[in-house]
Amino acid sequence: MKRVSINPITRLEGHGKIDIFLDERGNVANASFQVPELRGFEQFCRGRQAEDMPAITSRICGVCPEAHHLASVKALDQLFAAEPPPAAKKIRELLYMAFFVTDHTTHFYALGGPDFIAGPDAPPSERNILGVVRRVGLAAGKAVIECRARNHRVIQMLGGRGIHPTAGLPGGWSKSVSEAERAEIEEAARRNVEFAQFSLQVFERVVWRNPVHREMVESGVYCHRTYSMGTVDAQNRLNLYDGEIRIVDPEGLEFARFPASQYLDHVAEHVEPWTYLKFPFLKKIGWKGFQDGAASGVYAATPLTRLNVSAGLSTSLAQCEFEKFYAAFGGRKPVHQRLATHWARLIEMLYAAERMLALATDPEITSPEVRAIPQRIRGTGVGSVEAPRGTLIHHYESDEKGLLRRVNLIAGTTNNHAAIAMSVRKAAECLIRAGKVVEEGVLNRIEMAFRLYDPCLSCATHALPGSMPLVVRVRNHAGETIRTLRREG
Amino acid sequence: MIIGLGNPLLADDGVGLRIAAELRRRLRGRSEVTIIELYSGGMWLMEAMAGHERAIVIDAMAGGGVAGAIHQLGLGDLPQTRTADSTHDAGLPVALELGRAAGLQVPGEVQIWAVEAADVETFSERLTPAVERAVPQVVERVLKDLDATPPVQPRRKSQ
Repeated sequence: MKRVSINPITRLEGHGKIDIFLDERGNVANASFQVPELRGFEQFCRGRQAEDMPAITSRICGVCPEAHHLASVKALDQLFAAEPPPAAKKIRELLYMAFFVTDHTTHFYALGGPDFIAGPDAPPSERNILGVVRRVGLAAGKAVIECRARNHRVIQMLGGRGIHPTAGLPGGWSKSVSEAERAEIEEAARRNVEFAQFSLQVFERVVWRNPVHREMVESGVYCHRTYSMGTVDAQNRLNLYDGEIRIVDPEGLEFARFPASQYLDHVAEHVEPWTYLKFPFLKKIGWKGFQDGAASGVYAATPLTRLNVSAGLSTSLAQCEFEKFYAAFGGRKPVHQRLATHWARLIEMLYAAERMLALATDPEITSPEVRAIPQRIRGTGVGSVEAPRGTLIHHYESDEKGLLRRVNLIAGTTNNHAAIAMSVRKAAECLIRAGKVVEEGVLNRIEMAFRLYDPCLSCATHALPGSMPLVVRVRNHAGETIRTLRREG
Repeated sequence: MIIGLGNPLLADDGVGLRIAAELRRRLRGRSEVTIIELYSGGMWLMEAMAGHERAIVIDAMAGGGVAGAIHQLGLGDLPQTRTADSTHDAGLPVALELGRAAGLQVPGEVQIWAVEAADVETFSERLTPAVERAVPQVVERVLKDLDATPPVQPRRKSQ
């Protein structure tokens, strides 16, 4: 059996590895996607005070600390039986919307966009944000940097710190919003709305109207008919901060709808011998392997699946884009073409910008009533939010003093492990054919299958790289390396 | 500007933060040197150093070498970053080029001190012994390096 490894041990953040196993004929026999296993988190937390968790968990990851911070404080609201006042919930959501805009912006321009805007076969030195800026214009590069700067400022204003927010408390938020802050946030939100609209125009012009790219998005290579997961409000509209988790089947019919506290009734975890990672699946369907379809318990939780579970969006401009999106796929819903996740991400960015504006202009946002003081310890708390990369669940159990006994987290990317493995395998099967040399462009098209999920490869490691960005080893069935490809920069 | 990079909860990945904290103590009163801790690379790192003449980045390294080994690197020593390699972001060289193109004053000189880590995957607030021993050595070498280079006037951030 031949083995092809795509091993991007890179940069200043994390690493992951794709293994593609070929049979004697050179066709794909199997594929796996592995990320480093971070060990001992539960043990690390046990015995600590539950109220420390928003600060601890926000440090798990340098990329989405806001998501962990909010899932954590929501778990604490329950654990300490303290319902936050309306203004506190709104401030939390306001901060979260600023975070979503900056996170989705960075993904589109630095990661997802380059494959389309520079092109999947462009040399690696072009297939990055600089390649995007060269084609879309320098103004776009400046706009990305300004977008990040203004939203980081909002996060700092509301959250107390630039990167790891500290303002979240059980029962609310530690500070209220002044009128001057509100006015600045409103202005930032207006500019976010404009920038999100611009980004959607770029997508439509450069990707959707280009027949080659459109064909790639619509092709079966990146299509999986799985269950979809996301969080919705009482009217089944998308909500990223709060609501009930809704799952629809591959035909779009509601399969389940439940508060996060019931997640254990709906989600179980499958273990494979070749990785420490767990593969969550729908408990009521069962694990049937890495399979598509209604009979398989595999689901996905991404910007695309969030649109799939939503009846609509609560903001007007994003709702128009939502309708346009499904019309573009012939009115079919759910959409299963996974590359459409990039488009869905931009629609969410517009939604988050509009929602941020709505919250910033809500008269209640400057209310001084931002805290309910916990009066007792309930001992159990489950909090969830929609993180940029999928539904994020924090589950804590404490003793009567509030010292932690048990901690369980399901991170956004974790939900998608099975789906990512399936997408990588399918792309490899479609693109690697017997006897053909595996070229750079083919490898990139396989990487695109996991990049669309924006996986958080190792929510925390920042080790400097010590190897080449990507090494591909092709081995014969005796294990001898018969070909080594190094992708230089 | 001195930037300690890493994760304080993942054993040796916190070495850059530890060294930055020690340097802050030792460099008290040196107003031309700014010291920060940072948890993400790429764009974040570029944005953090914008507006400064020179940047020193201190981080853990997973190069498979001897734990605690100290390496002084330049930007050219990093594998050139490409989108395919980046989980959520652009790598530092690309981010710096973007910042420069967009009119930010990015440092003309970026120096990287890297300490070979033994463990960056276990949740722990302690460094492993070999990496712990490297902390004072890196501190002294950075201080010596600072003394050997003429001070620069701090610039205002251009954002």
